Amino acid sequence: MSRSLRGAAAVAGIGSTPYYKRGTSPHSALRLILEAILAACADAGLDAHDVDGFVSYANDLNEGLAVGAALGVREVRWSTMVWGGGGGGVAAAVNAAAAAVACGQAENVIVYRGITEADDGRQSYGKGHFPPLLSAHGVLTPVQVCALRTQRMLEVDGVPWSALEALVQASYYHAQRNPDAVGYGRPLDHETYAGSRWVSEPLRLFDCSRENDGAAAVLVTSAERARELRSVPAFVLSGVQGAGPGWSESAENNASYTSAGFHPAMVARLWAEAGLKPGEVDVVQVYENFSGPAVASLIDLGLCPPGAEAGSFMTVPNLVAPDGALPVNTAGGNIAEGFVHGIGLVLEAVRQIRGTSASQVPGADVSLLLGGPVAPLVSATVFGSAVTV
Amino acid sequence: MPEPLTTEPPALDGPVPAELVAIAERHGQVVAAGDHAATLADFRPDRTGQLLGSARLPGRLVSSRLLRLRAEPDGLVAAFIRYTAADGSQTVLRSRWIKLDQGWRVTQVRNVPDTPPVIAAAGPRDDGLDRPHWEGLRAGEVRVQRCAPCGHWIWAPQPLCPRCHSFDLTWPAVDPAGTIYSWTRTWQPFSPELSGHLPFVVVLAELPAAGGRRLLGVLRDGDGADVRVGQAVRGFIDLAPSPDAWPVLRWSLS
Ligand SMILES: [Zn+2]
Repeated sequence: MSRSLRGAAAVAGIGSTPYYKRGTSPHSALRLILEAILAACADAGLDAHDVDGFVSYANDLNEGLAVGAALGVREVRWSTMVWGGGGGGVAAAVNAAAAAVACGQAENVIVYRGITEADDGRQSYGKGHFPPLLSAHGVLTPVQVCALRTQRMLEVDGVPWSALEALVQASYYHAQRNPDAVGYGRPLDHETYAGSRWVSEPLRLFDCSRENDGAAAVLVTSAERARELRSVPAFVLSGVQGAGPGWSESAENNASYTSAGFHPAMVARLWAEAGLKPGEVDVVQVYENFSGPAVASLIDLGLCPPGAEAGSFMTVPNLVAPDGALPVNTAGGNIAEGFVHGIGLVLEAVRQIRGTSASQVPGADVSLLLGGPVAPLVSATVFGSAVTV
Repeated sequence: MPEPLTTEPPALDGPVPAELVAIAERHGQVVAAGDHAATLADFRPDRTGQLLGSARLPGRLVSSRLLRLRAEPDGLVAAFIRYTAADGSQTVLRSRWIKLDQGWRVTQVRNVPDTPPVIAAAGPRDDGLDRPHWEGLRAGEVRVQRCAPCGHWIWAPQPLCPRCHSFDLTWPAVDPAGTIYSWTRTWQPFSPELSGHLPFVVVLAELPAAGGRRLLGVLRDGDGADVRVGQAVRGFIDLAPSPDAWPVLRWSLS
């Protein structure tokens, strides 16, 4: 029996609520999650009572069993919370659902994430990861940790500042084509980016993801069932998650300090299982808690050269659809579309395979999702179209 | 004691635009008067929240005095304004002004002199894993966890040695001399505890005496410092603000 995930499962449905300005959701996080799940099931043409598995990440307050009870599902066969802080678990959650389906533990698994400031508080994404060895020194938030990593990447590795800005500008460029994006109608020019206030050097306001209230969900099912459902399947070609040696909870003593956390063995597994090379990826959704770690992710994955050469690759023309060499964050990403802990990136990765993105990459057959740079856990999923399986 | 009604004019360092004297004096007056709307109107509009949270002033102010205006690079002008509170205490804020289309606006503000934030969460974590480190600071030493049998340096502290799995862990004092591995200057008032100390620089210092382990700490006098990776730093222990609080490790450029 094969031990590969490749082609065994697919995303058959996607659904989301709007991105509300943080603190303004009209409903609880649970209600938003349920709305997103119903939308994902409707998108797939599946009766939501047939959902039999739930996966989330980053300590979502609403447990899968409670969500299942609210939906009145016939049976919960699979319930998983991915450990590890921040958005590092986003692709891992998809992978866990795919694994459950691939080995027959469940048939229709929902991956979801919902946040409201009323339920979760401010900066819920960082909870529990700032012990006194950080907080006593005024390091209270993820942006400060990501700033420390980014500063060394710029100063020692020689990655130019322009690489960070190119990622941000590409996100805003795509958001102007996505009416659902929070950044829609708010184009960003160089002067506004470079003149924006420091948050924690070297990161400015526009290097930071947003915080929104909202929820989104995707339905993962077997490849066979996905082909029978209403929407075009996005097949899971490969998935990895984890942390390299000395990576997690080390009070900034990580071995590969300027890496995003995608260590070489993990990256090799991702490409090997997918049967692909980095150059064969058509489009990337890269989690950008902050611009610097997103650039580090692309370097880790072999999609962008390291050091000073990163500047020649990370240019706006290279990073935007339809014609860029590697379009990234084609819905606007966490920076310009909206932020519900990165779950929106999953939906956009799937849209690119379906051909329904507002910034569609023509003929995209391979769509990469990267979760959680610098978080204790990082993860990745490669989605492919029907021709890839 | 309130400022006398007649004061000497502020000191002017460098080419300071004459119009700024009256603007900065009036700014001090509206702040001292608690005129929130007028204060906000002086702020650069895209950063009012950050500016409001950066500086800290006592509750009831009775007067202000513009001490000094200093021309700075990039067309900025720093205004040093001293505020006197009803209890007689005095606080100096340095506002940095920038000329925008709509006029002169405050783009940065901080308390001077520069002091590091004091965080109530300083001290051992609930499970006590790092308690020997904090006890060491109380004893005037920087102690870092080390495995007794294999000599492996461990940071952050762990319940066992990740290399040889011994539970026999020691806490030797180390020479707190190192180099900056990375750094960040934080401007955003993420917590009320940071107000009055922003911006501040945190450095991650690599310690040869602890096997290259890296320890975080606020850089003393980080305001305006030209910080670079690789610079030598030396550790100092800031005494606890009260008997039941804990001392904190700081770094200084050496
Ligand atoms: Zn050992």
